Amino acid sequence: MKISDMLKMCLRNLWRRKGRTLLTVTGVVIGSCAVIVMISLGIGMNKALDGMLASMGDLTAINIYNFNYGGASDEEKTPLDDAAVEAMEAIENVTCVIPKLQVDSSMVTIAAGKNDRYKMSWADIYGVDFSLFDKMNYSAEQGEMPTEAMYKDAVVFGNEMAYQFRDTKKKGQNSYTWKQELPDGTFSKPFVEPVGETIMFYINNSKKTDDEGNFLYGGRGYEHKLTGTTILAMDPNWETPYSIFIDIDLAKDIINDYNRLNGVRNTKGIDYTQVKIIVNDLDNVAAVQEEIEAMGFTASSMAQIREEMQGYLGIIQLVLGGLAAISLLVAAISITNTMIMSIYERTKEIGIMKVLGCFIGNIRIVFLMEAGLIGLLGGIMGTLISYGISAVMNMLGSGVFASMMGIAVEDSRISIIPIWLVLLALVFATIIGLISGFYPANRAVKISALEAIRNE
Amino acid sequence: MAFIEVRNLRKVYRLGNEKVYALKNIDLEISKGEVCCILGTSGSGKSTLLNMLAGLEKPTRGDIFINGTNIAKLNEKKLARFRQENTGFVFQSYNLIPQLTALENVGMPLMFKGVPKRIRNKRTLAMLKAVGLGERMKHRPSQMSGGQQQRVGIARAFVAKPNVIFADEPTGNLDTKTTEDVMSLMVEMCRKHNLTLILVTHDLEIAGYADRIVHIIDGEITSIEENTPVYIPEEKTTDNETKEREDNKE
Repeated sequence: MKISDMLKMCLRNLWRRKGRTLLTVTGVVIGSCAVIVMISLGIGMNKALDGMLASMGDLTAINIYNFNYGGASDEEKTPLDDAAVEAMEAIENVTCVIPKLQVDSSMVTIAAGKNDRYKMSWADIYGVDFSLFDKMNYSAEQGEMPTEAMYKDAVVFGNEMAYQFRDTKKKGQNSYTWKQELPDGTFSKPFVEPVGETIMFYINNSKKTDDEGNFLYGGRGYEHKLTGTTILAMDPNWETPYSIFIDIDLAKDIINDYNRLNGVRNTKGIDYTQVKIIVNDLDNVAAVQEEIEAMGFTASSMAQIREEMQGYLGIIQLVLGGLAAISLLVAAISITNTMIMSIYERTKEIGIMKVLGCFIGNIRIVFLMEAGLIGLLGGIMGTLISYGISAVMNMLGSGVFASMMGIAVEDSRISIIPIWLVLLALVFATIIGLISGFYPANRAVKISALEAIRNE
Repeated sequence: MAFIEVRNLRKVYRLGNEKVYALKNIDLEISKGEVCCILGTSGSGKSTLLNMLAGLEKPTRGDIFINGTNIAKLNEKKLARFRQENTGFVFQSYNLIPQLTALENVGMPLMFKGVPKRIRNKRTLAMLKAVGLGERMKHRPSQMSGGQQQRVGIARAFVAKPNVIFADEPTGNLDTKTTEDVMSLMVEMCRKHNLTLILVTHDLEIAGYADRIVHIIDGEITSIEENTPVYIPEEKTTDNETKEREDNKE
């Protein structure tokens, strides 16, 4: 028998009992609607969770800090040095490893303006590899990112740092500025607009202080004349606003100079303050983090938090999905029931078909097709209705999850139906139909031709 | 070897602990193009014999060769193929499918064979015309008389160009006049295409159309009688005659 003939036969059979077919299809519609909507809610929840976490920090980043809670002494601690960085780079799925070297605020005095009028009393100074800046998701708010030619001369400011300059010619409150929004919507101006300015780094002599207790600069040759290139925009991890960035090699030079000037012995070599690792995919973060922790470092990531929260969401989804699945199971049973009824009605027809030489395989296919078609039809209608339900829910309950989590997210839909879910639903509904039709089809095949055509 | 050969055929049914011998020991040969009538009373085993010849029932013992194939030994799939290619059926109660038109009903054996719809419809229509129902191709069984329904049944039996036609009390539900029409039509078409017709009946009148009459009583062949058929169609004029008969009826 040709497929087209079998299809036509099965359509005719479904059409013959329109009312019953429709009722059975309705069962599948309800079942698939329930499943699609429940899953779409789950996807919505996950999206809201990711949105929330993304607003809290970069999800693919792992931060490693050079301290340990275990109470191990300095000798037992794994050094966060170049060897460690190399080992981290060798871990699978790691996109890049960005070491940060902090220059202690007491080591240098940062100054700007004519005769070094403006000085910065305190700053978090980090040496980083400027070439990896874009990998850290930092971007410029003012000025431009340092170019390769000027890495060693560039200094990059966090967006609060310009306000750390103090006017040495003034006293008391007047010697400071604060970042505050003015009535016209702009921000108050600091003493120094660092972009394009010459910024001096003087290495301090730890033994000499001025009247106010500030360290004095170590003398000729112990200064670095740099240029302010950039003010960074706020980054998602809130790492930059109170930091100043210089090139990592420059940072090493400064530390070495300071040590030489003040006679500090450093036998261990450079030990990074912090290392940031960017992982290629959100889903690999946990594995990488585990490996790093196994190396003896303290690491933290948003992915860790995400995993825990996803665990909770997973349980909620499982319960919702389970409830939905029950309605689909009921629909499956009703398909089987409908098919069995249909076979009773068509016993004679099946008998005639057999006597006339129809292959039993064809009979089986016709019945499976009918059941599968009921499933598919229910799946299609269920999908369409689900889109409607989803739209209504999004209209009424927009932002519910976000407000539950206490954040604002761009995508505030609570129910999201991606195309893969539609395809999955259609395939699944069809398979449910086929499975439900399996037993009736086998019954149809077993009908004795002789019994069926026996004269009444 | 004869076209149809039945050897040592036995069929035993079990009713509780009792064995019922539907067929005891049948040996029979039927040649190609023969019109053979199996005549017996109700319960004589004649229908059982027909069912076995058609491969609808498996014998308890014995062999049935049709056109050289032992159909007692075929599996279900091969039997279906065998039926598609070799057999046509005419039933007492027509066994047409009520939802289908005459055209669709007649086309069924071709559909099972996998013949494309266009070719199928062409052959089916030709066959409907041959039985004088060309005008009624769109009618459903319920819109036709008993005689017309049986003609549809005959068209369905012949459409796939089988080698042997099985007819089980084909006129059991028809009146005398229609019986004559239907029997003549069936015999005529068999003669024309040199087909073997196996006719099962309890009606002596019907048996009169056969070349040979096989008497069966209690599952045994009691005698085989040569017969001069009451109706022998004239060569080459058959088509016209069919038309005429149809015209008279209308």
